[in-house]
Amino acid sequence: MADPNDKPTGGLIRRLWNGFWSPVAAFSVGFIAIGGFLGGILFWGAFNWSMELTNTEEFCTGCHTMETNLGEYRETIHYNNHSGVRAICSDCHVPHEWQHKVKAKVIAVKDVYHEIMGTISTPEKYEEHRLAMASLVWRKMKASDSRECRNCHNFEYMDFTIQETRAASEHQRAIDENMTCIDCHQGIAHALPPDYLEEYKRVTEELQAKSEPQSGKTDDVAAIRSYLGALPN
Amino acid sequence: MLGILDLLGTIGGNILSLPGILGLALGMMTRNWILAAILGALVGVFETVVFAGFHLGEIRSLDFAIAVLVGVLASSLGCAIRHRGATV
Repeated sequence: MADPNDKPTGGLIRRLWNGFWSPVAAFSVGFIAIGGFLGGILFWGAFNWSMELTNTEEFCTGCHTMETNLGEYRETIHYNNHSGVRAICSDCHVPHEWQHKVKAKVIAVKDVYHEIMGTISTPEKYEEHRLAMASLVWRKMKASDSRECRNCHNFEYMDFTIQETRAASEHQRAIDENMTCIDCHQGIAHALPPDYLEEYKRVTEELQAKSEPQSGKTDDVAAIRSYLGALPN
Repeated sequence: MLGILDLLGTIGGNILSLPGILGLALGMMTRNWILAAILGALVGVFETVVFAGFHLGEIRSLDFAIAVLVGVLASSLGCAIRHRGATV
């Protein structure tokens, strides 16, 4: 610990550094604790407020490259609907949980890079990258069990009796087969690229292949049936 | 590209979450480097388990390793601050 009786020597940075680590005789522990607490609240409030600003639709669509996304999204039910509830960009693309949210914000740095580099600055370039961009989002959603969809939608809260017959039947199938929202609802807010079904299949197969060695589950239904059939009644 | 960003995002998320903040605070409570590292690692383990909803099967080994590593580093930094900035 720095000795407070030491005479300040060296440059400004050196003196500031020494001063920073010197004990304070003028303040009580309580004063420093309360001051630190208030400073912490102010810092955390400002940090959260700034982060929430980056979740607004104005911020997301501020970049030129987001114009195509915005136009497509404005044609969908998530933008305009009978109930007046709107899901903005961040509702679907930014997790609510702190840990995942910070991670998403760090990853979003790549969007700034691509805006500067003009990777999708023209309609032609956008179409060229549409499948790859969609594929990334599908992968994240499939891996997280459509976590962001589930911030608003939940199978448990659905009344199948007031849904269209097809929707009710498909939702029941989704529950029975342990499916997730994005398995059926690709392109819910943006136009779908050609060959999207093949790409989605590839994504799901890749994820399945990754998770299989960890799960240790056996899906050999035929072998189980055969074993059960061989058992005496 | 996304792999590196995914990794950086996970590290950033942990620094600004329990392993980083609580790890630093716990590290500042001791002058014992080993104890500080253990406390930081425990925070990393705790945070990973809590964020996985106590479903051990949902914990990814990379996330787990990063949380523990960030916890250890943060608590070691806290311990260094204790050594540098306190006489007790």
